[in-house]
Amino acid sequence: MASAPMFSRAIGLPARLALYGLASLALMVVDSRYDAMTAFRTGSVALIHPVQAALARPFEYLGEAGEFFTVHGALLQEKRQLEAERERLATLLQGYLDLQGENARLRAILQLTPPPLVEPMAARITRVLPDPFARKLVIDRGSADGVEAGRPVVDVAGLIGQVTEVYPNSSIITLLTSKDQAAPVQDQRNGLRLIVSGTGSDNLLEVRYLDMHADLKPGDLLTTSGIDGAYPPGIQVARVLSVEQPRQTPFARAICQPVGLIGQHRYVLILKARNNAP
Amino acid sequence: MPLNTEKPLVPQGPQLIAPAPRRLVYASLVLGYLCILLPWPQGMLWLVPDFTLVVLLYWVIHAPHLAGLGLAMALGLLTDATLGGLMGQHALTYTVTAFLVIHLRRRLENFEVSGRALHLAPIFLGQQALFLILGLVFRLPDADWRYLVAGLSAVLCWIPLARLFDRLTGWTNEMHIEPAAK
Repeated sequence: MASAPMFSRAIGLPARLALYGLASLALMVVDSRYDAMTAFRTGSVALIHPVQAALARPFEYLGEAGEFFTVHGALLQEKRQLEAERERLATLLQGYLDLQGENARLRAILQLTPPPLVEPMAARITRVLPDPFARKLVIDRGSADGVEAGRPVVDVAGLIGQVTEVYPNSSIITLLTSKDQAAPVQDQRNGLRLIVSGTGSDNLLEVRYLDMHADLKPGDLLTTSGIDGAYPPGIQVARVLSVEQPRQTPFARAICQPVGLIGQHRYVLILKARNNAP
Repeated sequence: MPLNTEKPLVPQGPQLIAPAPRRLVYASLVLGYLCILLPWPQGMLWLVPDFTLVVLLYWVIHAPHLAGLGLAMALGLLTDATLGGLMGQHALTYTVTAFLVIHLRRRLENFEVSGRALHLAPIFLGQQALFLILGLVFRLPDADWRYLVAGLSAVLCWIPLARLFDRLTGWTNEMHIEPAAK
């Protein structure tokens, strides 16, 4: 034992690397296979969120100061447009209330169960996560506001994604355009049921395994069918751009454009289950 | 067997002449971490460098008694918790990166900032690549390979940062040749 080091007070570097590497790998396995990290995540996000919000504040003020100097005329014009839009919506809404009543009566006659009631809640996007694997946004509403994982997220135009992680005062939305996201939809023209999935690009969605002879044409509007229980029916999702005929595979593929303005908004709506639902 | 020189009890060589103040090391790491938290615009996320790692790799070279594998692992876990990816993904890449840099440390001490940056470029790039590959191995369906560019922008960030820290600590690459003259 004469060759023992004089000051052996620490384990060697490669051994430490192996130790830390194994620990990290174990963490990754535990995190990807089991739900063991959720509690830790919730805690750490609750700690980090206030710091993040404080850091983002000066940039928000800057943005607002920039908006302050926008031309007065543009604002007036926008106001007029919004007023016209509101009038149009108000007239539409009257018809809608009427229709909703009629629909309820018809459903009662047919003895169908009522559709799940949803309540929209506005949320502000605070951050975009630099995640190379999925498209994720952080919003400023969390479990304290009644957000639940799995709730659909829409904007003024259509569906944009789903709440995937919920923390006390913030949640994470995974956009529909992420590659692993999908939504069951229905063609508005003929009721054809399909599944539309993300492609990883901000302005493209696709219908992957489409029947070769399916009646789907460019320009068709796809809305959620509501049969998966996650998305309520009738939310606009995408418009078909083109249908590619199959070459080697037995399936056709349709390219669609999302209706929601993905990547262009500061505010989104979460469709929350209504508390006093019957 | 030689002495354990990787993490000496007392700072040696250049670290003895121009010691990195403990406060500067930790403060700069915190600042680097805060830079990640800033609300970067969505369109340029793929080229925003990992500032924590940029700062960490400077101190792994210049303050080895303060910044080693343990600190790299801890910072990696912090970044994982912040960015909401897979727990341990950043931790592993930070640790491997720090290990490589510790091995190159003696050599790197002989180079100007630009020379050191040239050595670090493949390491930063490899870190991003390892990160993306780990994601693919584990669960994540779609890796956006544009994020490799973040490795290169990290090197570009490292150069001015290293110049600044060299000036703050008074460190030069000729220093250890004649330490007695100082």
